Amino acid sequence: MQDTQVKDAVGQVRSATQQLHKAISDAAAKRGGAVKADLQAVPQMAKAAIDSIKGSMGAQNDVAKKRLAEAVTSLEAAGKHAAAGVQASGKQFQTAVRQTIADARAAAQKASEAVAATRTVATAPSARK
Amino acid sequence: MRNYIAVVFNDTTKAYDGLHALWQLDNEGPITVHGTTVVHRNDWGEYQVDSKDTHPALATAVGVGIGALLGALAGPAGAAIGAARGAAIGAASGGAVGAVTDVARADTRDESREETAFVLGAGQSAVIADVSEDTTLAIDDRMRELGGLVHRRAYGDVRDDKWFDDYPYDYYLYPYEYIPPYDPWWA
Repeated sequence: MQDTQVKDAVGQVRSATQQLHKAISDAAAKRGGAVKADLQAVPQMAKAAIDSIKGSMGAQNDVAKKRLAEAVTSLEAAGKHAAAGVQASGKQFQTAVRQTIADARAAAQKASEAVAATRTVATAPSARK
Repeated sequence: MRNYIAVVFNDTTKAYDGLHALWQLDNEGPITVHGTTVVHRNDWGEYQVDSKDTHPALATAVGVGIGALLGALAGPAGAAIGAARGAAIGAASGGAVGAVTDVARADTRDESREETAFVLGAGQSAVIADVSEDTTLAIDDRMRELGGLVHRRAYGDVRDDKWFDDYPYDYYLYPYEYIPPYDPWWA
């Protein structure tokens, strides 16, 4: 039962990072002011995902913990770049959007790697009973 | 083990079925999918990558990055070659960086046509994915049922390719199931 709960927590973290990437890349497909309006919501979304990760990290194995910590770093960067993008224009704005998407992608990747780490542990011979 | 895979289909619809099946396998647990996209090659040999209508600043890099990954999946020799082809894709998207890269590596372009065909022939579509899998059976069996041919290369080997740092193609693989909500011209 505990394994299932641990996997679910990491799975939810992964979903949160996937949603963040989706929101940012959808926003980037828009033009001008619409992008900025959507970008304003990113720091709060990133913070919610970070809180979710911090709430579930304690129960993870070492590999998953490491990946989740890396996801937090990427989410923090996404929040900062999104905030910078809201204040910027022209080329600086484009750079900020590109960096925010890359950060969100990296966060989703790390969360996904954490899921893989929990699954590997769950299916290892020593974990089977 | 962590692998990049390219699953080649003769039919675009089947490629989307393959994409969906990969995420289903992820949901069921035998594999973990870190990212996917679908690449098409038309009868004239031109490539098209499924993507959202991304910001113009991103368009060129999409082509270069995914082209590099296609080349990397063809093996070490294909890495540089795929980058050249990818630049052509990027140039088609209207980006200056792609055009510059294409000129710089024009000497590899003829070779690339043959090497990337190993992964994706004219008229075919491929699901490109970054996956963690304990065995290759789950993906191989499911894709075979759908008529797909799986090409696989170790994640570590691809990352060791010298081209990897030049083209960060990882972030062109969507970290969730994404299918464009329109009928593309190649379908």
